[in-house]
Amino acid sequence: MPDLKRFQGLVLVGVMSASTLWLAATGQLELYVAPKHAVFAVVMSSLGLLSVLVSAMRVTVHHHAEPSPRLVPRVLAGVGASVAAVVTAAMVLLPPATLTSATAAQRDVNSTAPLADTATLDEQSAPDASTSNLSLLDWASLLRQTSDLAFYEGKTVRATGFITPDADDPSNVFYVSRFYISHCAIDAQAVGVPVYMPGWAGTYDADDWVDLEGAFDVNASTTSAQGIAVTAETVDPVAQPADPYIYK
Amino acid sequence: MTDLLTRTRPKVARRAQRIGLLIAAGGLAAVFVVRALTGDIALVDLPNAAQDLVTLTVSVMIESLGFVILGILISVLVQVWIPDRWIVKVLPRNAAARRVVISVLGVLLPVCECGNVPLSRGLIAKGFSVPEAMTFLVAAPIVNPVTILTTYQVFGFTDGILISRIVGGFLIANLVGWLFSQHPAPGALLTEKFAADCALPAEGDHDHDHSGSRWQESRDLFARESAAVMPALILGAFIAGLVQVAVPRSVLVTLGSNPVWSVLALMALAFVISICSNIDAFFILPFASTFMPGGVVAFLLFGPIIDIKMLAMMRTTFTTTTLVQITTVVALMSAAIGLMVNFYA
Repeated sequence: MPDLKRFQGLVLVGVMSASTLWLAATGQLELYVAPKHAVFAVVMSSLGLLSVLVSAMRVTVHHHAEPSPRLVPRVLAGVGASVAAVVTAAMVLLPPATLTSATAAQRDVNSTAPLADTATLDEQSAPDASTSNLSLLDWASLLRQTSDLAFYEGKTVRATGFITPDADDPSNVFYVSRFYISHCAIDAQAVGVPVYMPGWAGTYDADDWVDLEGAFDVNASTTSAQGIAVTAETVDPVAQPADPYIYK
Repeated sequence: MTDLLTRTRPKVARRAQRIGLLIAAGGLAAVFVVRALTGDIALVDLPNAAQDLVTLTVSVMIESLGFVILGILISVLVQVWIPDRWIVKVLPRNAAARRVVISVLGVLLPVCECGNVPLSRGLIAKGFSVPEAMTFLVAAPIVNPVTILTTYQVFGFTDGILISRIVGGFLIANLVGWLFSQHPAPGALLTEKFAADCALPAEGDHDHDHSGSRWQESRDLFARESAAVMPALILGAFIAGLVQVAVPRSVLVTLGSNPVWSVLALMALAFVISICSNIDAFFILPFASTFMPGGVVAFLLFGPIIDIKMLAMMRTTFTTTTLVQITTVVALMSAAIGLMVNFYA
């Protein structure tokens, strides 16, 4: 009688390691973990695959006198095994994907935009300051520092991101947003710039990637919490970039 | 029986090994093929929230996988290749001093908490007293280089989280060890069937067939450890993703911004998700922006020692009464340290 539980562990390590290596080989591992962790993930997954192969050669079965587990541990083990099977199957069968506007909305866009290593008010207040190199993260950081319209006067916003409807006025305001990530997707935080565009949903869908160009103005929305928003000159649909996340 | 087969019919054994290798290699190749075929095809059109649940879960799994594999391999190294007498005989004779040294043994034996349960059982079998084994069991998941490294990687020295975790883990372990050393009959803390349940045999235990080589033992242990750890890892990753998707941020912010609730809520979360100490810092990172640092510290202290998975595993060794007592002490100490960080740090 084969020890099925023993094979369960090997199968899970093997499938997860193989899937991780496939993601790395196809350049998609960074959809899940930051580049700084990718090498470690690849090395350890390779070791995991090797260990599975070596362990699968074991033909002896080491039996110990183990008591029959009680009901609660048995149920927990059953739930754990079922979830493990479904999640592992999803890892293999579903195409890799980025986080969507649902998570951006759930985590509140710009609620935690970092201030370190981003554009500062002092830098951007200088007469010769240029906005051409500002990223979406820079704009989000500036928005957390001030909503004074005078500061944004004469500054052109250019940014690429996906559309997240504004929670308070989804009909008239959306964010051009992206996620920034420190370690892996679970610590992703959404950053973005609000855009006032009544009836935008007739032209675009949530999660569409767009290139935005425009300038800040008073937000004409009566229900949005944002005091200022970009009035767009152009909003052009684009393909999702190869590096959809911002890594910090 | 199979070992007898290995000794008496080596050709059959080698053939069986080849078959095992071929099945594993074929299975892994099949994963690569399926992954390549399904990489661009949306077999099902998931709603955004469900898609994000999958993405978040897979993200935690990939981030954690390397550390779990590392932990299992080190566990194999310690349990199979390092003689137990190296550990037992170098310890001081004074009981308190022994516990202090034992509580930092995790630096040399950096296995996560799942691996610590069978290791502690083995240490008792090799001469550790029950309180000493408890001290190791409590301290090792926290006071070990992998956990310290990942906690540092995530938090650095921000808000004293790393220092509070290391010092707190050390203190709790020694307190637990000292309390149970006062027990008149420490042997009564163990389940009656512990000797029979013990996965690791004492030297000279002829009931266990160790005629196979250490390599065979290593392969077997890798399989058993991964079978114990991997489902818990995936379940923990799934619950972590589910909490992220399902619990409104406003609820988390409300709980997290209160000095007391931030501690209690994250301790409850640690108990439920049962995530490995090597990677729990990664898990709690997204909560760090909404929860007070004391809550994070309490999570990082309580979770590695007491959670659903660990209690189930420890029940194989300790009586229910003992586990209730350990849980109470660890919970009170974790909460106290977390509150101190919130109020004074």
